[in-house]
Amino acid sequence: MAENGSVGISKKRHFKINNTAILFLVLAGLFIIASYVGRPFFFSKLNLIPMVNNLSFIGIVAAVLTMVMVTGEIDFSIGGNIGLTACLTALLLAKGLPGWVVVVIALAAGAAMGAFNGMVVTVIGVNSMIATIGTMFIWRGIGYTLTNGESILAMNPVIDFIGRGFIFKVIPFPIVLLVIVFVITYVVMNHSKWGRKIYAIGSNPLASFLSGINVKKVKFISFLICGITASLGGLILTSLTAVGMPQHGQGLELLIISAIILGGTALGGGKGTILGTLAGVFILSILYNFLTIMNVYYFYIQIVQGTVLILVVSAYEIKQMMIRRRT
Amino acid sequence: MKKVAKKYSQVMNFLRTPTPTLIGIYIVMLIFFSLSSKNFLTIQNMKGVFNSFAVFGIMAAGVAVVMIGGGFDLSVGSAAGLAGIVSAVLLMKGIELSTPYVFVIAIVIGCLVGLINGLIIVKVGINPIITTLGTLAIFRGICYFWADLCPRIYNVFVQNFGRKYIGGVFPVTTIYIIVAFAIITLIFKFTRFGRDLFTVGGNENLARLAGIPVDRIKIISYMISGFFAAIAGLLLISQLGSGRPEYGTGAELEIITIVVLGGVAVGGGKGNFLGVFIALVIIQTISNGMVLIDLPVFLRMVVKGALLVLVIAIDAIRSKRHLLRY
Repeated sequence: MAENGSVGISKKRHFKINNTAILFLVLAGLFIIASYVGRPFFFSKLNLIPMVNNLSFIGIVAAVLTMVMVTGEIDFSIGGNIGLTACLTALLLAKGLPGWVVVVIALAAGAAMGAFNGMVVTVIGVNSMIATIGTMFIWRGIGYTLTNGESILAMNPVIDFIGRGFIFKVIPFPIVLLVIVFVITYVVMNHSKWGRKIYAIGSNPLASFLSGINVKKVKFISFLICGITASLGGLILTSLTAVGMPQHGQGLELLIISAIILGGTALGGGKGTILGTLAGVFILSILYNFLTIMNVYYFYIQIVQGTVLILVVSAYEIKQMMIRRRT
Repeated sequence: MKKVAKKYSQVMNFLRTPTPTLIGIYIVMLIFFSLSSKNFLTIQNMKGVFNSFAVFGIMAAGVAVVMIGGGFDLSVGSAAGLAGIVSAVLLMKGIELSTPYVFVIAIVIGCLVGLINGLIIVKVGINPIITTLGTLAIFRGICYFWADLCPRIYNVFVQNFGRKYIGGVFPVTTIYIIVAFAIITLIFKFTRFGRDLFTVGGNENLARLAGIPVDRIKIISYMISGFFAAIAGLLLISQLGSGRPEYGTGAELEIITIVVLGGVAVGGGKGNFLGVFIALVIIQTISNGMVLIDLPVFLRMVVKGALLVLVIAIDAIRSKRHLLRY
C-alpha cells in the first residue's frame, strides 16, 4: 500500500515537471518559428527590446496575480490600476514633484487600491470576480476624471530610468525588475511558510481555517501586494510611453489572466507555479508580438486573445476530467 | 379566513423581497433629481428616459435568466453588437435583404452566441465568468470585420422599430420591455422550465439527482440571453440609425448592476423579474440624472463602477455569504 502510494506521488511529480517543461518547449518552438517566419523584423534589436520591456511589466503583474489566483481569488482590476497609476504619476510629475517621491506615492496608491479590493473581498465576502470588475471601472474612471481624458507627458530622469534605463548599458532595467520580482515570488511560493499557507488556502479554505491559518489575512495581503505590483507595472508603462493616459492597460487583464492560466494555475485556486506563469507570459507576449509583425489587425488579435483564453482553460479542464475518469 | 391568510402571506413574501426597498429608493431618487434639475420631470426628458430602458432592459432580462440558473453572462454586449452590425450590413444599400429575414438572422446569431457560451460552460465545465470574458473579446473582434462599412439604416420598418412614439409621446420600446418581462415572468411562474431553472440555480447536484436535465436547461438559459441580446442589438441599430462595431461595448457593467440590484443572487436560485425591472428603471434614471445634474463624463464611470461594488456588497451581506468565508 505504502509502496503504491509513493509510486503514485512520484508519478504525479513527474507529470508536473513535464507540464512546465512542455510549456518551455512550446516557448522555444514558438520563438524559433517567430524568428524564422518573422525575419528580418522579429529577431532584431528594434523589435526585441520593446518586446522584452513590454513583457517584463506584464510579467511583474502576472507573477503576483498568480499568488492571488492560487488563493482562489482573482483580480480583474489590474488594468484599471495601471491606468490610474499612469495618470497619477504624470500629474504629480507635472506638479513638479521629484521623481522618487512620485514613485513612492504611486506605489502607495497601488497599495491603497489593492487594500480596497482585499477589504471588499475578505471583509464583506463579495465574489472577487465581480467585485474587481466593478473596481476596474472605478480605477479607470478616476484616472479619466483626474486627467480629464487627456494624455499627460511624463518626463523625469527617475521615471525614464524605470522603463527605459539600462544597467551596464546592456540590460534593460524592466527585465531586472522582472527578475527580482520573479525570484522573490518564487522563493516565497516555494520555500516559505507564507507560500505554503497560500497553497493550503487555495486547495481547501475550510481545512486551512480549521488548522489555524488566518485565511482572510493571507488573502488580504496578497491583494495588497498585487495592487502594489500592478502600480509598479503602471510606472514601467508610463516610463515606456513617456506619457500618462487613462487608457493605459486597457484589456490587459485578458492577456495576463490567460498567461497565468496557460502557466497551469487553476481558476479555483490551490494550483499553479511561478515558473509556469513566466512561461505563459513569454509565450503569449511572443505570440502577440509575432502576430503584430505579421501585420494582423489589432481586432483580430482580440479574437485570438479570447480564443486562447477559452482554449487554455478548456485544455486544463479536459485534462482534469481525463485524470478523474482514469482514477 | 384561509383566503385572507393566503393573501397576508403573499404580501409578506412580497415585502421580504428587495422590491419594496427598490421602490422606496426610486421615489427618493425622483424627488432628488426633480429638485436638482428642473428639466428632469419634463415630458421631453421622460420620453428619452423611457426610450433608454429598451436596450439595457432587454439584455438585463436575458442575463437575469442566466444568473437565476447559477450562470453568468458578460458577453451580452458583444452579442448585441454582433447581431446589430450583421443586420445593419444586410440592410445596407446593395444587399437590402427583406426585413423579416434580417430579424431572423439576427436572432439566430444571438441564439448561436448563447449556444456557444452554454456549450463551453456546461460541457467543458469552465467558470462562466472566464468563458464569457473570452467570448466577449471574440465576438467583439468579429464585429470589427465590418468596421470599414459603417452602414446607415434606411429601412423604414427598422427605423421605426426602436424609435416610434405612440401618439407622439409614448415610446413603443417600452411596450417591448413590458411584454418581454411579462413573458419571462409567466414562463417562470407557470412552466416546468422556469421551475427547473430555479432548482438548478439553487442546488445543481440536487437538481441532477431529481432528474432535471441540468445541462440542457443551462444551455437554454444562455440561448435565451443571446436571443434577448440580439433583439437589443436590433434596437441599438434602430435607435442610433447605423451599424457600428463598437455598439454595446461596456454594457455588461450596467447590466450586471441592474440584475444584482434587482435581487437576483450572484450564485443563482433567487430572483424575481419585477425587482429587475425596477432596478432597470433606477439605474437608467441615475444615468439620466447624472447627465442632467451635469456630472463630468468620466466621473459617471466611477459612479457606475462604485454602484456595482455597492450592489454586490449588499447582495453578499444579504445572503450572509461573509459568514461562510473564513
